[in-house]
Amino acid sequence: MEIVIQMTVSGALMGLVYALIAYGFQLTFATSKSINFGQGELVMLSALISLSLQNLGVPYWLMVPMGLFCGAGLGLIVERVAVRLALEQKSEGWILMTIIVGLFGFSAAENIWGRDDHPFPTPISSDAMHIVGISVTPVELSVAIGVLALMGGIELFKRKTLWGKAFAAVSADRDAAELMGISAKKTIMLSYGLSGMVAAMAGILVSPITTVGPTMAAALILKAFAVAVVAGLESGFGVVLIGLFLGALESLASFYIGSGWREAPGLVLLILALALRPNGVFGQASIRKV
Amino acid sequence: MNKMLLAALCAAWTVQSLAADTLKIAITGPFSGGSAPMGTSMRDGAKLAVSEINAAGGIAVGGKKLQIELIERDDEAKNDRGALIAQELASMDGLSGVIGSVNTGVVIAGDKHLQEKGITKIITPAAGSASMTQWSKAGVADLSIFRFAAHDGIQSAMVVEEAITSKFTKVALLHDATNYGVSGRDDLLAQIKAQGDKLEIVATEKFNIGDKDMTAQLLKAKSAGAQAILIWGIGPELAAVANGMAKIGLNIPLIGGWTLSMSNYIDNAGKNADGTLMPQTFIEAPITPRAKAFIDAYHAAYKVDRIPSPVSAAQGYDAVLLFAAAVKQAQSADTKKIKLALEDLKEPVKGVIATWKQPFSKWNPASEQSHEAFRREHVVMGRVKDGRVVFAKDADQQRLMKQAK
Repeated sequence: MEIVIQMTVSGALMGLVYALIAYGFQLTFATSKSINFGQGELVMLSALISLSLQNLGVPYWLMVPMGLFCGAGLGLIVERVAVRLALEQKSEGWILMTIIVGLFGFSAAENIWGRDDHPFPTPISSDAMHIVGISVTPVELSVAIGVLALMGGIELFKRKTLWGKAFAAVSADRDAAELMGISAKKTIMLSYGLSGMVAAMAGILVSPITTVGPTMAAALILKAFAVAVVAGLESGFGVVLIGLFLGALESLASFYIGSGWREAPGLVLLILALALRPNGVFGQASIRKV
Repeated sequence: MNKMLLAALCAAWTVQSLAADTLKIAITGPFSGGSAPMGTSMRDGAKLAVSEINAAGGIAVGGKKLQIELIERDDEAKNDRGALIAQELASMDGLSGVIGSVNTGVVIAGDKHLQEKGITKIITPAAGSASMTQWSKAGVADLSIFRFAAHDGIQSAMVVEEAITSKFTKVALLHDATNYGVSGRDDLLAQIKAQGDKLEIVATEKFNIGDKDMTAQLLKAKSAGAQAILIWGIGPELAAVANGMAKIGLNIPLIGGWTLSMSNYIDNAGKNADGTLMPQTFIEAPITPRAKAFIDAYHAAYKVDRIPSPVSAAQGYDAVLLFAAAVKQAQSADTKKIKLALEDLKEPVKGVIATWKQPFSKWNPASEQSHEAFRREHVVMGRVKDGRVVFAKDADQQRLMKQAK
């Protein structure tokens, strides 16, 4: 029994990282109905930039806000370069453009930081703590706290501030929002900035566990897509639940079915979700007026 | 006017390439990615030997002094890249030989192209058994591929022996899903049988390149009551295993292939790497004058205070010395003549790992040992201590110091 709990907890904590990245997809999808297919590269680039900041002697707790700031900046660049024009032309060009910007970021990372994985120093201990028979490390707990704090913060911002209300208005009906004097362009920029910040947070949180390198996000991003699709692209609460669930499921599968089958249940879940609830478990079927 | 200039340039170029007395050797290996510490150390060790030979005037062949010219190719540890590079080298004019390869999969994908054209290759430091057994299994009559690395047969024997002498009875086997990991697992299983079936295997688990979370595999080992983990993989994943063991409080020895000495294992695992045991052909400790000279030269040339993979560096260095000795004996830069000389080296070659006396013999399809240079006595047990690999056993160190005298 202890093992089941241990595997569930370890897996679920990693699942929160999937949830955070998936949340980044939701943010931009809400305002602009577009997502950044190069989100994984934002995670990786922000983590590498944060690592370089640390190597330059910036203390960890100062590096975190600087890293988040860089992430937001990268998000804005993606919006300007890959998304804005396509949206203005009402085309789907952003799909290819975000992939291209992502590939460009990947090459840049390989050339600047090399192809190797580096350890990511953190003041948070990675010595295991034993709580009622299961082991967790403070680093893993910091992932959970960081993910929930950032997501909670953004949700509060969306509900309580004027800018947040604009966010909701543009999500609900872009044209109507524009008529009310809300700048959709600025709101979309804001959503991409936040999405980049979320990616940076994911990178900073997960790096001490996974090490940092150009390929670090390749596996993460696929899981995050799965989480976003299964949960639906609207519900922030949904991604957390599905993230926890998928992480735990993976980890239990690799224990009970075999380590080679780790990814299988997640993919089955994805297929089932697409077949049975195409808008996601927590998504609402869109009402189409004819 | 332009045409004349072009013709003159062409002529000058041809004359120059004829006049230049060079010996072309290709160095291949992964110079980037997870296997890079081995690839770059091997390359840099080889370059050190080359620059020493060139600085001393080169290799005397038929009254001329040949300077060695290196051609470097990065295979990125990818099997398909390795195959392409081997094809390119197989059709290259005037290539005397190839030294390198770190990954067993790359060796298997590429070496057939070199063997087809009869190009002499010394494999170092790839240790997977399959690299050489593929030829004995196929029963080829003549082979131009040599290996200069402690093959997994020797290493797995030492790992199993270590577990038995430590009085362990239950062990878990962990390995990665590459050709190297799988063939390492098979070697371990064969050795456990050969050494009297004294170890019970309570769990056999695998992991993929790039995996970071090993909790599932380790919990299986833990719940089955394993007293030690025998492991075959490369740096980054080995580090994930060591870190995972610390996390779930699995304090049992980690014993495995020589890759546990890679810098990306030791650095990424940090203090969790302490105590790891692995077979080594060279330990970065200046216990003999020859070892000291080599280590100092490496540190000075590449501005480091720790060789990323000392085994690879020393093997790369010695492999070039052996190759050069074969060229000198053959009195030719022709790859086929060099191969014959390598199979019958008359003069001992003083390397940094050992003094090599007749390391290879004529290829015998019944036993790949004829083209394997390393024997059990060339290998020692290493242990990670404070971020470096040290001698695990005093006896090994004493033996090497005695041999050097």
